[in-house]
Amino acid sequence: MMTPMLVAMHRVLFPCALLLLTGFPTLQERPATKTHRLEIVRMKFSPSNLSVQPGDTVVFINLDMVTHDVTEASGKTWKSPPLAAKSSWKKVMKTSASYYCSFHPVMKGTITVK
Amino acid sequence: MKRFEKITIKAMALLLSVFALESTVLAQGNPTLSDAEVASAAVTANQIDIDFAAIAKEKSKDTQILEFARTMANDHQAVIDQAVALTEKLSVTPKDNAVSKQLKADAEKTKAQLRAKSGKAFDKAYIDNEVAYHTAVISAVKDLLIPETENAELKDLLTSVVPALEAHLEHAKMIQQKMSKK
Repeated sequence: MMTPMLVAMHRVLFPCALLLLTGFPTLQERPATKTHRLEIVRMKFSPSNLSVQPGDTVVFINLDMVTHDVTEASGKTWKSPPLAAKSSWKKVMKTSASYYCSFHPVMKGTITVK
Repeated sequence: MKRFEKITIKAMALLLSVFALESTVLAQGNPTLSDAEVASAAVTANQIDIDFAAIAKEKSKDTQILEFARTMANDHQAVIDQAVALTEKLSVTPKDNAVSKQLKADAEKTKAQLRAKSGKAFDKAYIDNEVAYHTAVISAVKDLLIPETENAELKDLLTSVVPALEAHLEHAKMIQQKMSKK
């Protein structure tokens, strides 16, 4: 017959022991998110096709002398503000997307979230 | 088909004018353009497209023409700002010359032709000219201005402008194609 004190200790200690034994699986299995550098240079997105993990951050850096932006292809889900020369903008990627520069629609790219 | 022929003839005329300039300049031996003259020609070529954009802003009601013209004005102004900053850094004063004078003279004729049109005829004339003008300027920058430039920084600036001019040309062709389907 367990006393109330023992029952309480059991309830706290058992899950802790389980976590120690299993090595914190939920924390270990989730890989750390990364930050990817995506340059806008010579009127191109580079790399123009990028693969990322869900939750990774993509930093767009405008190295051209003219203003660009990054607009999701449908034009409905997301769009960066105008990025003047030497400025940058970052986005956490949760879903794959095709995008383009709305000022220069011949500039296109894709980000695949795997 | 007739429309295409007109565009082609206009583009060819512009190209021939640039080639004639190149031949005149190159026939005199190298280097025939000083860096000050190259800088002047580069600034003039950019300013001309800003002027064309101003006419479009004044005369067009078409959203894609207005957006394109706004981009042209902003981009070419950014190039001028870079060129002016560089010439100041290098203590070079842009100097008027045969190339910049010819560009200005041709632009005045084109501006008069554009101002004489309105509505859809203007939109078509504007975008046709943008295709022809960018084609000619890309050729002039690659085959005349870059080879004539001695200063490495000025040469780098001109080289870095080419992809922007090429993107403008592709964009203009895209609009031209859309308009021809309407």
